[in-house]
Amino acid sequence: MNVPIIDPLQGDFPEVIEEYLQHGNMKCIAFNRRGTLLAAGCADGSCVIWDFETRGVAKELRDKDCIAPITSVCWSKYGHHILASATDKSLTLWNVVNGEKMARVTLQQTTLHARLHPGSSTPSVCLACPLSSAPILVDLNTGSSTVLPVSVSDAGNGTTAPHPRNKFSDGSPPFTPTAATFNKYGDLIYVGNSKGEILIVDSKNIRVHAIIPISGGSVVKDIVFSRSGQYLLTNSNDRVIRVYENLLPQKFAANELEAMSSNDHEFQGIEKLKVDGSKCLLLFREFQDAVTKIQWKAPCFSGDGEWVIGASASKGEHKLYIWDRAGYLVKILEGPKEALIDLAWHPVRPLVVSVSVAGLVYIWAKDYTENWSAFAPDFKELEENEEYVEREDEFDLMPESEKAKDLDINQDEEVDIVTMEKDSAFSDSEASQEELCFLPAIPLPDVPEQDKCLGSSSKLEDSNHSGSPFSIEAAQDGQAILPASSPLEVVGNSTAEEAVETSSLKRKRKPSVKGMELQAEKGRKPSTKIKPSGKSSKSKNKHGDGLDTNGSVLEDDVTDDYL
Amino acid sequence: MAGGGGGSSAPSSTAPPPPYRPYRLARTLPAHTRAVSCVKFSNDGRLLASASLDKTVMVWSSSSLSLLATLAGHSEGVSDVAWSSDSHYVCSASDDRTVRIWDVRSPAGECVKVLRGHSSFVFCVNFNPQSNLIVSGSFDETIRLWDVKTGRCVRTIEAHDDPVTSVHFNRDGSIIVSGSHDGSCKIWDAAKGTCLKVLIDDKTPAVSFAKFSPNGKFILVATLDDTLKLWNYSTGKFLKIYTGHVNRTYCITSTFSVTNGKYIVSGSEDNCVYLWDLQSKNMVQKLEGHTDTVISVSCHPAENKIASAGLDNDRTVRIWIQDTA
Repeated sequence: MNVPIIDPLQGDFPEVIEEYLQHGNMKCIAFNRRGTLLAAGCADGSCVIWDFETRGVAKELRDKDCIAPITSVCWSKYGHHILASATDKSLTLWNVVNGEKMARVTLQQTTLHARLHPGSSTPSVCLACPLSSAPILVDLNTGSSTVLPVSVSDAGNGTTAPHPRNKFSDGSPPFTPTAATFNKYGDLIYVGNSKGEILIVDSKNIRVHAIIPISGGSVVKDIVFSRSGQYLLTNSNDRVIRVYENLLPQKFAANELEAMSSNDHEFQGIEKLKVDGSKCLLLFREFQDAVTKIQWKAPCFSGDGEWVIGASASKGEHKLYIWDRAGYLVKILEGPKEALIDLAWHPVRPLVVSVSVAGLVYIWAKDYTENWSAFAPDFKELEENEEYVEREDEFDLMPESEKAKDLDINQDEEVDIVTMEKDSAFSDSEASQEELCFLPAIPLPDVPEQDKCLGSSSKLEDSNHSGSPFSIEAAQDGQAILPASSPLEVVGNSTAEEAVETSSLKRKRKPSVKGMELQAEKGRKPSTKIKPSGKSSKSKNKHGDGLDTNGSVLEDDVTDDYL
Repeated sequence: MAGGGGGSSAPSSTAPPPPYRPYRLARTLPAHTRAVSCVKFSNDGRLLASASLDKTVMVWSSSSLSLLATLAGHSEGVSDVAWSSDSHYVCSASDDRTVRIWDVRSPAGECVKVLRGHSSFVFCVNFNPQSNLIVSGSFDETIRLWDVKTGRCVRTIEAHDDPVTSVHFNRDGSIIVSGSHDGSCKIWDAAKGTCLKVLIDDKTPAVSFAKFSPNGKFILVATLDDTLKLWNYSTGKFLKIYTGHVNRTYCITSTFSVTNGKYIVSGSEDNCVYLWDLQSKNMVQKLEGHTDTVISVSCHPAENKIASAGLDNDRTVRIWIQDTA
């Protein structure tokens, strides 16, 4: 929504880990179109849907047939369906609202990446990229599949022999991973093959319309569009991420491409395809780490396409590199020492979510500094010094003109209290269909409980945990909270409503006013495992008494904390 | 009082706006055994909830005005009540420092959740439009955000220096407005909990009520100096002032009436319900009948119906309707 006073600098990038989510062992993640829900595929075959606003579990998609670890999840355009691919070679289509399995198809190989056709609201066609062979278009209703061509030779066959240069450095036998993605409306498929070429294939008639060779010719591991469809990035085995500008229009791109190629009579065969290709994609930038030559993993764009983020594929480190579109590396985010397996940028907010090999999902966000000028109603924040020129009568004892003017608000102006504006952040909300932005929150009945001591296993089904940030600045105890200790803290939150106190303190990011309050809460909960050192709760033990008396006692305490 | 009201945002049209049709008392519901603190129609208009210092919340059918359920469970008086967007759940704020969520569809009126965390009386409460969060304001000067599903306190905001009198989400749930006895009215980012703007920052008079307009662009603020102001919060300037009623002591709720022309409706300490034309600020009607301060008013979302609640001397909920021509 266009709320005018929310900081317009939304299009920025995250800086620190804000919190983490834990529920089972999560392997892959995907945001829905608006970023209100986060789907995560788990190692036990279920999918967890997180409500991103409350950071709690909204739904779990479980089925007795689906028990193999999930390799990828994908939302349908309006958020009603989720496609999950698993290591037992299956693809499962779920209905999000009622949590039921709608369709299940078993293929020849395990799919690494599955994508639903983005153009329709009830998609039945999906693109599956298996581990070691050509991508397939699968019809989920009939189960039929069409193999996409991964290379074009003059002989016209669709298979490809592995290029000797593309053997992986650890000596494992070369296979031919191919990456593929739909364009924004799904009429074209962009395939990156193991020879280092991008093929543009029509998704209806499976014809190759164009080829764009990538310099260096190494295996394409990932190929991703930005949300607007304006930019495309490829991640190649030569450790370079390349960003291309998409020259085709967003809508009806296939028609445009066909028209372009049928008009072009100069060239034939592969030459023609390459010429057409040069009219579709234009190389914009290349990103690499020249010093350490890292292999990249899971690169993607920010929601507005301004930033590119890629993770280091080196084991044992959790590093995210952020570049701006001009090519400058702006930030390296470093997380706990666990390898990263998946990454996603929030569609709207400057938030990044990363999955570590330990099955935890980390949320990276901006470090919030309080906007102090918000506290004074007529304060205006300046970017730089402004020269103030005083009025002629400024220091007169009785300035004539200016005094009365401020109160002269036009009170006769018509005020419109009912018209609402369209949301401009989502350009194609011509929403012919209802978009699913959130799942109805049904309050779980209270467990008639006794003591909130931890260790008592939670009776509630989805005892979700969210934990504290790892960054040093949020250290409540004055010491860095190491990953090793976090599971301990998480256990402390297992009982849902008594976790009211302790989990609220986990979310505090700044040890300022909020930090004081959570010290107070800790003081109130002697049973908590995370015993803060006596120093922090000493002064605030008054709050413990404050609980039983009324507001007046509290007031004195609270005012001390301010600013 | 025949006013020149009824003016919706029609440009200088040739036909004069239709004359204002006055509301009249349709029914008096002898609802509670102690002062009624709040009345609210549900979003679908079928139900009416009333909260009282007698520790109960009563749910009425808004068409037949029969009592459907009595929600009992709080150990102290209830100050505020709010409906979820699908009209299935009601949450209530009480002096026993808890917020309770009730399922109104269950025949027994069952309390589904108890949200604990505030350290003093909880005074005001509201669902967000997605109804996955509840915001509550309390005498402990904080605002808390609760996850409806698990009951977990998602965030605590040290909002004010005095009891928080009113909290409300805007149309898409991204910001919250809060008013307090400390005289300030502040706007908070719901996702991050940071203060986005302070609308009013005078020490007096106390802000007794604040609420967003239906399109989320304006805020109606009531202050304890007999004044109601309509603010444009992006510019930080108020656009309209409504006076004529009495409001010095109690946190009287006011609301927008948009079903038949645009009006501002508010209770008053002179035992009447006041209606003003939104644009011209003229008072178009004064509804008399209550025998004590009218503490709360609510407009039906579709019909021209107003519900009002009276304090201890009165203890009734009155329903007013507009005569059809």
